[in-house]
Amino acid sequence: MSVIDAAIRPPLIQGGKTYTDVTTDICRPLENKPTRMWWIGFTLSFLCLLILFATLFWTVWTGIGVWNINKSVMWGWDITNFVFWIGIGHAGTLISAILLLFRQKWRMSINRSAEAMTIFAVMCAAVFPFFHMGRIWVGIYWVFPLPNAFGSLWVNFNSPLLWDVFAISTYFSVSLVFWYLGLIPDIATIRDRSTTKARKYWYNFFAMGWTGSVRTWARYEVVSLILAGISTPLVLSVHTIVSMDFATSIVPGWHTTIFPPYFVAGAIFSGFGMVLTLLLVARKVLNYENYITIGHLEAMAKVVMLTGTMVGLAYITEFFIAWYSGFEYEQYAFMNRAFGPYWWAYWTMMSCNLIAPQVFWFKWARTTPWFLFMMSIIVNVGMWFERFVIIVTSLHRDYLTSSWVMYSASWVEVGIFVGTFGLFFTLFFVFCRFLPVINMAEVKGILKNKE
Amino acid sequence: MEQNNQYWKGIEEAEKQPEFLQTKGNEFHEALPLEEVLNATDLDLSSNRRDFLKFFGFSVSAVALAACQKTPVKYAIPYVVKPENITPGNANYYASTCGGCNSGCGILVKTREGRPIKLDGNELSPLSQGATCATGQASILSLYDINRLANPLKDGKEEKEWSKLDSEITSKLANIASSNGGIRIVIKTSNSPSFDKALVAFKTKYPTTEVVVYDPISYSGILLANEKSFGKRVIPSYNFDKAEVIVSFGADFLGTWISPVEFTKQWVTNRNPKGGKLSKHFQFESTLSLTGTNADVRVPMRESKEGIYLISLYNEIAKLAGNAQLAVTQNAELAGNAIKNSAKELFAAKGKSLVISKSNNINNQTIVNGINIMLGNYGTTIDLDNYSNQSKFVEADFEKFINDLSSGSIKGVIFINSNPVYSYHNSTKLVEGLKKATLVVSTSDQNDETSDLAGYVCPDNHFLESWGDAEPKAGVYSFTQPTIAPVFNSRQAIESLLLWSGTPANEANAYNYIKTNWAADATIWNNAIHDGIYLKPASIASVPSFAANLTEVAFAVVADAPKSDTPELIIYQKVGVRDGSQANNPWLHEVPDPVSKVCYDNYVSVSKTEAQSKGIKQDDLINISAGGYTLKNIPVLIQPGQASGTYAIALGYGRTQSGKVGKDLGKNAYPFLKLANGTTSYSNAGVSIETTGDTYKLAQTQTHHTIEGRDYIREASLDEYNKNPFVRNENKTDLVSLWEEYDYSTGHKWGMAIDLNACTGCGACVVSCHIENNVPVVGRDEIRLRREMHWIRIDRYYSFYSPEAYLTKEDDIEKEKADIYDNIRVVHAPVMCQHCAHAPCETVCPVLATTHSAEGLNQMTYNRCIGTKYCGNNCPYKVRRFNWFRYNDNDAFDNHFNNDLGKMVINPDVTVRTRGVMEKCSFCVQRIQAGKLSAKRDGRKMKDGDVKTACAAACPSNAIVFGDMNDPNSEISKLYKNERSYHMLEEVGIKPSVVYMTKIRNVEPLKLTEKHS
Repeated sequence: MSVIDAAIRPPLIQGGKTYTDVTTDICRPLENKPTRMWWIGFTLSFLCLLILFATLFWTVWTGIGVWNINKSVMWGWDITNFVFWIGIGHAGTLISAILLLFRQKWRMSINRSAEAMTIFAVMCAAVFPFFHMGRIWVGIYWVFPLPNAFGSLWVNFNSPLLWDVFAISTYFSVSLVFWYLGLIPDIATIRDRSTTKARKYWYNFFAMGWTGSVRTWARYEVVSLILAGISTPLVLSVHTIVSMDFATSIVPGWHTTIFPPYFVAGAIFSGFGMVLTLLLVARKVLNYENYITIGHLEAMAKVVMLTGTMVGLAYITEFFIAWYSGFEYEQYAFMNRAFGPYWWAYWTMMSCNLIAPQVFWFKWARTTPWFLFMMSIIVNVGMWFERFVIIVTSLHRDYLTSSWVMYSASWVEVGIFVGTFGLFFTLFFVFCRFLPVINMAEVKGILKNKE
Repeated sequence: MEQNNQYWKGIEEAEKQPEFLQTKGNEFHEALPLEEVLNATDLDLSSNRRDFLKFFGFSVSAVALAACQKTPVKYAIPYVVKPENITPGNANYYASTCGGCNSGCGILVKTREGRPIKLDGNELSPLSQGATCATGQASILSLYDINRLANPLKDGKEEKEWSKLDSEITSKLANIASSNGGIRIVIKTSNSPSFDKALVAFKTKYPTTEVVVYDPISYSGILLANEKSFGKRVIPSYNFDKAEVIVSFGADFLGTWISPVEFTKQWVTNRNPKGGKLSKHFQFESTLSLTGTNADVRVPMRESKEGIYLISLYNEIAKLAGNAQLAVTQNAELAGNAIKNSAKELFAAKGKSLVISKSNNINNQTIVNGINIMLGNYGTTIDLDNYSNQSKFVEADFEKFINDLSSGSIKGVIFINSNPVYSYHNSTKLVEGLKKATLVVSTSDQNDETSDLAGYVCPDNHFLESWGDAEPKAGVYSFTQPTIAPVFNSRQAIESLLLWSGTPANEANAYNYIKTNWAADATIWNNAIHDGIYLKPASIASVPSFAANLTEVAFAVVADAPKSDTPELIIYQKVGVRDGSQANNPWLHEVPDPVSKVCYDNYVSVSKTEAQSKGIKQDDLINISAGGYTLKNIPVLIQPGQASGTYAIALGYGRTQSGKVGKDLGKNAYPFLKLANGTTSYSNAGVSIETTGDTYKLAQTQTHHTIEGRDYIREASLDEYNKNPFVRNENKTDLVSLWEEYDYSTGHKWGMAIDLNACTGCGACVVSCHIENNVPVVGRDEIRLRREMHWIRIDRYYSFYSPEAYLTKEDDIEKEKADIYDNIRVVHAPVMCQHCAHAPCETVCPVLATTHSAEGLNQMTYNRCIGTKYCGNNCPYKVRRFNWFRYNDNDAFDNHFNNDLGKMVINPDVTVRTRGVMEKCSFCVQRIQAGKLSAKRDGRKMKDGDVKTACAAACPSNAIVFGDMNDPNSEISKLYKNERSYHMLEEVGIKPSVVYMTKIRNVEPLKLTEKHS
């Protein structure tokens, strides 16, 4: 890999790092004893994970009735959270696949953690479609087109939920393979540095006999490119299909052709929000400021602004089309979003997703870490509300006014949502402990200082 | 056999190679490596003892483990001796008489394997005419009520031996009679010839006995006014079918008044605009009743001033007729000159009009009689000759009984299915008096408030376990026959009375006794039991002479009228719960009130203006006092249409002694009743309220009450309809379809029509569906969470009068003043699964659990459902219901589905759904199948009317018609082509199988709020 020295562009990795520095810096958190901060973070996350177990158990044991969804709003926080988590995953795939194809070198510092985030987010997301089923014990395998002894009984290929099954399982498996492939050279590095027997054994096992020879590197590059090629359509397809859960229905406010691009933009938007959140913490706690530089942050801020504006444009287009359609139920659905009983959710969404990211027109906003951190949280809040607005405000007042209802989550639903954060961060903390958060092999390729 | 052709297996054989020939005789051509295998050291085929023990141990423990799960033993015992006429799997029907209230509707009881599971109307009965009401439908569950008394009680303890009780009671009765102590038998209005005869037998044995009639709801105002006017203390028969103009002062004749099923059947005959005519129905009332919601003109009225309005109406008609007016100074007019207008209409329809009043005031009812006399309605719409026997209660007799009881002159009281301790307004006096009696017997089948005070409780059978005869109307005899052996150790009250009066056991047997009474003509008895009905030829309705002095009455009315406009409290009956005697019936609480859509509670109905002036809101808990009685912590409901200055509370709640469902449910409003001029008054002037600061969320199934100017409910005025029968229905919007059409050309294609003009919203269909389809009862908290399970619901929409238009958009309504809530119009729209041809639910199910049938049904396969609930979201009618919990065998839902007795009401033809699956209306597919099978068995084609869904069968207003659209002569096919028929939400393009028919009101055309194009 060659690096072009541009005089006007600051190097991607700063602090005059050498190859050795990179290895020691990045391996340090794995080889030292866990820090106090790590323990605190891990414990908190794990407690939240226990909440997830408890609330899911309670749901399955007692019935979905422990949630507050009702005869009209049959999807509430569950599917809101599902779309929220799936969306978050998208940044990882975008960074690792599309930016790879576009040869955006700045992605190298962040793609590992972004991909890990993708995988963990998809795992969190998967909780919801499974557990929102009334009969998970059969649904968990009936949704797959398995041969069976029931004669012609088969799944319904017309159903967007079935498309979801395919989209998400593909997404998860491809992302996992891609992530793991990128990890192999780094795992080999750790293996080589290992001092204990157990460590050596396990890293050796997962390094799959990596030797670092030219031939393995060549293979590695090729497979990376192929997987990037496979992943690229997934960036678009997964959220497109998720959006079809809504777009193919006849619920006013769901039945919208703009959903696929709008959802993809939203997914990248929220994904970058989450990557920012994670990396801003990680670079501080793990002392990676030289690897994840202000330049990285700024680039991500730009993506956030771009996708946020795209999403905002979609909001406005939707509103316009609702009016233009002349379909009174559609018109009402949108008026109700903005000015009905859930107006606060709508305006939270609007201000977080469309208005707030506009501050990134200013360089200060793009380059100030604490401000970026705040913004990243706002983006995630906004995107959660977007899904809530789409799902709940469309369902709670649709065609027949007699069935109009209000909906607010029960403690179990809140618990499950909190619990998925527990799952996400528990996995993330474990990941930080055992695997390098930054792709050492790739970062070494873009170092300016060659020894 | 010689073979000519030689086939060879291979070249080797053809060439007759020696190696081949050598091995030709062997079974396997190649040598098997048997030796090698058997001698292989690494493959030890022989097992030693140790291995054997291992495998043995594993197998035994595996089997033992598998057997550890305790499989419940279920008994399905076949008939050892199969009863005649019972074929397992086939339903039997028996004609009987409904005991849900005192109307005496004829019913057909559906039994399966010896247990009654459903009631439907008996078409031979002139009262029910094949229909039922919500209360009647639900009454079957009272049979399987786990809280019924399993045995008689003596001093609160179970006493299994009837003979012991009988001897004790008879000896006590004999003692009382011999010491000249009074004995009173308190009964509900009886119109049973046999029961009356049994009472006579009892009186003969114990001469100090008197029979006291007590009904919780009094119609004595009518009885006594008729006595005063015509010398007949009866309730007349009303013929709403003959009435072209109806003016009802508060009488909820479609919901609760006297005989609602019969009246609905009559009323609806004039509500079809096909011939260009509709009856004109005025309703003047304080609180919005079911009947008020169906009136063409409904005007709020303060009930306390009803007499004045009646006088005004009288005078207006007299003016038109040129008769003398009543010389009173006070004349009053209702909003919109309603009195004057109705007078005009009434007079124009002389002889074919009807004025009725809910009032229990004799004077008011006398004026009503005067008006009807003046209009010549007697002999046509009112019939005093074929009078009703449905209520005979007159307060004076009961008051005398209470006074005698207090004075101690009565020593023995027998309450026959009567519960005055709960429903009598001054129950403390009654309770005190009962303490002076030496013998108190109750025949209630539950430990209710009265039987709780009785020394002996001798539980009566449920009406489905009983023999009986009744004469609800003169000349109309309706018979009751048991459809199940008594579930508990109970005994019919008539049998108890006869045994106590010394009748030999054989004669006292209810069957023998009643049969003997009808012995004069054996053919009557056999036919009557078969048909359930025996009709004597009706008398010719005559025009009675009117004897009351109206001027005197009018002056009395004016004198009684309130001088100031103090707030007043109206006590009324709710549809379903009615007088509260079936308070322990969960179905009656689960079915929402047709007007307020509140389940499980009663509440104070308040008008918006009154609420604003008092600073109270919906769901506030208030204390309300009137007439010296205070009801604490009762929730508030803002009721559109409530006359300002009035409050209303329903009876039938607040039972202190009832079963697990009814106990302490709601608040008891009976103590608000009081006697005025000798009759019970249902309004109470001088109300004061105080707020408590607490709130209580009422469980409502509908919380948005207007259609927001949407097009899915269509209504027009009669004039508009006559000009253009397609009014509001001109534009068909389902023009283009992206989907391929199903081919329904062969077989059946089921469809349904719902006439919005006929539907009164009474809720009979809801309960009927509940029973037929094993719909679970979920309880108040789940309804608060908006999770009622009804497969059919009745949407009720208000529109609010403003000078320009009737408003249906909440934004517009909120801009107006609060008094816009006074003048309202109402539409009732039953909504169930519409069985769309292009059903949105079907495409989205990932596992094909909901599919389309060749007959146009949208089918639900519970077994396949995994509960993603996507179908429910995608249903534009929101008729899909999800099993959020397991509702059966779950003590969290402590109704009838968690005990073996309550589960006996389950319809064996319909699956009881497990938790986590979706369910919805199936168009009663089990009834369709049954209809098909019986047609097949008879070797004929199905004919129209072979299949009636449970909702259509129950409907007293014929609003629901179900049938095969592939039969061009079926009623449904004709209705589909009717000008008024339209599909709800047809613009969505889902092609539902249900048509709705535009509501046509007999009113002046009035602009509706902006309709979308």
